[in-house]
Amino acid sequence: MTEKIYHFKTDVVIGLEIHIELATDSKLFCSCSTHAKPGEEDEPNTRTCPVCLGHPGSKPVLNKKAVDYALRLCLALGCRIAPELIFSRKSYFYPDMSKNYQITQYEIPLGEKGNIKLSDNTKIGLTRVHMEEDPAALVHPAGMANSSSVLVDYNRSGDPLCEVVTEPELTSPEQARDFMKQLINILRYLGIFDINRCIIKADANVSIRESNYQRVEMKNITGFKDIERALKYEIQRQKKTLKDGNVIRKETRAWNSQYGVTRSLRSKETEADYGYIIDPDLVPTEITKEWVDEIKENMPELPDEKVKKFMHDFKLSIDDAKVISADKDMAELFEKVVKDVDAVLAAKWIRRELVRCLNYVKKELCDVDIATKEMNSLLKLIESKKITETTGQKLMEKLVEGSFDVEKYVKKEGLEAVSDSGELEKLCDEAIVENEKAVAEYKEGNEKSFNFIVGAVMRKSKGKADPKVVREILIGKV
Amino acid sequence: MKTEEFIGKVKSGEVDIVEYIHKVIEECKKINDEYHYFNKISEELALKQAENIKKNPKGKLAGLPVSIKDCICVKGVETRAGSAILNGYKPEFNATAIEKIIKEGAIIIGKTSQDEFGFGSFSTNMGKGFQKPLNPFDKERCCGGSSGGCGGIVQKASFPHISLGESTGGSIVNPASFCGVYGLCPTYGRVSRYGLIDYGNSLDKIGPMAKDIKDIALMQKIISGFDKNESTSLNSPVDDYSAYIRKDVKGMKVGIIDFGIGESIDEPVRNKTLETIDKLNAKGVKAEKVSLPFSKKYGIPVYFLIAASEASTNLAKYCGMRYGASSELNGSSFNEYFTKVRSEYLGDEAKRRIILGTFARMAGQRDAYYIKAAQIRTKVIEEYKRLFKTYDALISPAINILPPKFDEIDKLSLLQAYTIDALTVSPNLAGLPHLSIPTGMVNKLPSGVMLTGDHLQEGKLIQLAAALRKE
Repeated sequence: MTEKIYHFKTDVVIGLEIHIELATDSKLFCSCSTHAKPGEEDEPNTRTCPVCLGHPGSKPVLNKKAVDYALRLCLALGCRIAPELIFSRKSYFYPDMSKNYQITQYEIPLGEKGNIKLSDNTKIGLTRVHMEEDPAALVHPAGMANSSSVLVDYNRSGDPLCEVVTEPELTSPEQARDFMKQLINILRYLGIFDINRCIIKADANVSIRESNYQRVEMKNITGFKDIERALKYEIQRQKKTLKDGNVIRKETRAWNSQYGVTRSLRSKETEADYGYIIDPDLVPTEITKEWVDEIKENMPELPDEKVKKFMHDFKLSIDDAKVISADKDMAELFEKVVKDVDAVLAAKWIRRELVRCLNYVKKELCDVDIATKEMNSLLKLIESKKITETTGQKLMEKLVEGSFDVEKYVKKEGLEAVSDSGELEKLCDEAIVENEKAVAEYKEGNEKSFNFIVGAVMRKSKGKADPKVVREILIGKV
Repeated sequence: MKTEEFIGKVKSGEVDIVEYIHKVIEECKKINDEYHYFNKISEELALKQAENIKKNPKGKLAGLPVSIKDCICVKGVETRAGSAILNGYKPEFNATAIEKIIKEGAIIIGKTSQDEFGFGSFSTNMGKGFQKPLNPFDKERCCGGSSGGCGGIVQKASFPHISLGESTGGSIVNPASFCGVYGLCPTYGRVSRYGLIDYGNSLDKIGPMAKDIKDIALMQKIISGFDKNESTSLNSPVDDYSAYIRKDVKGMKVGIIDFGIGESIDEPVRNKTLETIDKLNAKGVKAEKVSLPFSKKYGIPVYFLIAASEASTNLAKYCGMRYGASSELNGSSFNEYFTKVRSEYLGDEAKRRIILGTFARMAGQRDAYYIKAAQIRTKVIEEYKRLFKTYDALISPAINILPPKFDEIDKLSLLQAYTIDALTVSPNLAGLPHLSIPTGMVNKLPSGVMLTGDHLQEGKLIQLAAALRKE
């Protein structure tokens, strides 16, 4: 494979290679489980067999389910699908490699030339999508720096991975983060990635204009939050290096998430030579039209389709539909609550208030535990005006911290909106008497003073009064 | 005693199999002291199996002593493929072929000696600390290779016996010929390679070696078949090979490979081949000369490039970390450690083939060597396939010489040693079944001819071989 020549123009150029662990039950080339039994501890080196341990004489057999998953991904990303699935041996010596070669794909990847749309509609081109096996895990008993020995855990050895390689078309760390987020969302929509147990890791190539785009590779970045951090760090490091009068070398650097820094692993004066050969233990698997058609027919709904559906079925604005679809959990939550609650109201509250609360605690919906039932109760209370919007906002904040019985809580704390006009009038009268000065100022034309009186009533109602109604009553009285 | 008769007597209880196996093991030990046919005699396993057979004498191989080339995994029995780097390695599982023969009541008597990982044609490229097997007819001569121990013990054993050998580029027919026994290398994929320690995965085949063609047919049927654990195993029905033993050969057509009776062939070998052709003619088989120019010209380089490329990746896993030989760590980096173990425990020919194979698949050389060799390989297959439209089998010697002396082998240049495989590499590259048939003694040394058949036509080879037996 020869390297393409690019003519870059942007300040920063980023390309990603993302390794995605597919959520199959068994490994790529043997029947060992990819995960511990539910509720059981994952004891090291228990989910192994002669194949994933690379014992002499053992032979790989392809897990078709993993190919189904990879095909789903290729189709969702708009890739051209190869006519045959061919595996190669990538040879290099490393203690985490059970055979000292990795079974991967080389000349002809499963998928080529796809793309992913970012939230600002920019399309990022994908060079290839291919399948490969995961190596074992190296365990440093006392941390990387302080361990005198390294242990190898082969539980991970042979797990199915898909590698997605982008064109160098990303231009900022924020874009890279968005890219990862879009990709993870697609993976989750496809049902081929389990966010609770599957690992997604990225290697990033980054270069800046000032160095005439000298490429530096960063390895081992986990998750989309870290990709932004790592790239930001590395861009600053490159800028500083040049400012200090030094040059950027072609090298591979490791990202250390704990310390938020990258450190040089090796200089890349010469490209590694992996001496690829076709793996003669695996016959080429024909990817028939029938197979692809079957995958297409059973494709789960994708984010773009979800947007269209939300706009059509629930009359959501394109903006609301997009924001909700951009997170599979949020889309699912929305679809569940609209069964009982008005769709536009639900969309508004999920899209604005829920997102606001999540942003505030810097979490994703999948990180927090909100029971659909409670979200449903909350939205119904708002819809029926049994609580005020202010109360609703406060309850949403509380929900993000952890699920609780919303209805019971509202009753227990007496948070129902004060809708009894007699009660409200009484509170207004009291406020007028207690704030003579403000009333007088308002009558002289000071609008702010009026708001002050409204605030006083709200305080008296402990936020349970509808401010709109309060204003109406007060206007009549003063 | 013939195999069939012996198995009958085991089943009837006429032969006390436990006593018998005791004697077999004693004989093997005695032969081994003198001829070095075993890397390991599996006495404990054999006696345990004999006890079981005594209690429950069942299966098509009930009680039959079988020896296994060292590169085929036998659970719990030290399996080293003739290499010191696997010293102490006892597989956790049986090869599929081993599972099948155990199920039929076979008794595994030991792991036979071979060139290290199969890298040789004389069983002289031994792993460190292994002894060369000596020719059963002349101890100054070789057994052939790489399944040399199989050939030797099959010839030398006084008891009914079948051996399982393995061929990558001729390693069954070559020692069969040099030891004067039958050896069948079946179609690639006919016998599962699961549990076979890899040399060149796209070339490796397990096959039987025996003194009687009937035993070849019996064993080939048992070990054949699809294996869900091995992707390259063939999912086509298995022939009843024994049914071919009595089939008439009249009207069959055999192609005589021209360079197989040409100048490069030693005269006694050529004469024996021509004699065999005459015998076939007398049985009503038509024979005429054919040529395989492509295979003749490119067979050897293509074979060595492909086999070495694959071997160099297969052998990477032996690094002293997970099994087999190991060394002191002494604070070295993993690269230094791997290098130390591999330097210490791999033999010279293994190192040579790793270097050759690694070179052939490196970025700068890959297209010129590995890729080109793979392309020419398909041409070799096409050349054979054209001939099999007309012929039932092709005939030639397996090797151009009679078993050579060790001191003659020592004098061979590397290229001369590699070209010994000139007649056997091409059927191996094409994945075609080929059978070595003993043709009697010349100058007190055994000779043989080789029949090559179309894919899955092992039956026809057995049919022709059976017709050549003495009446």
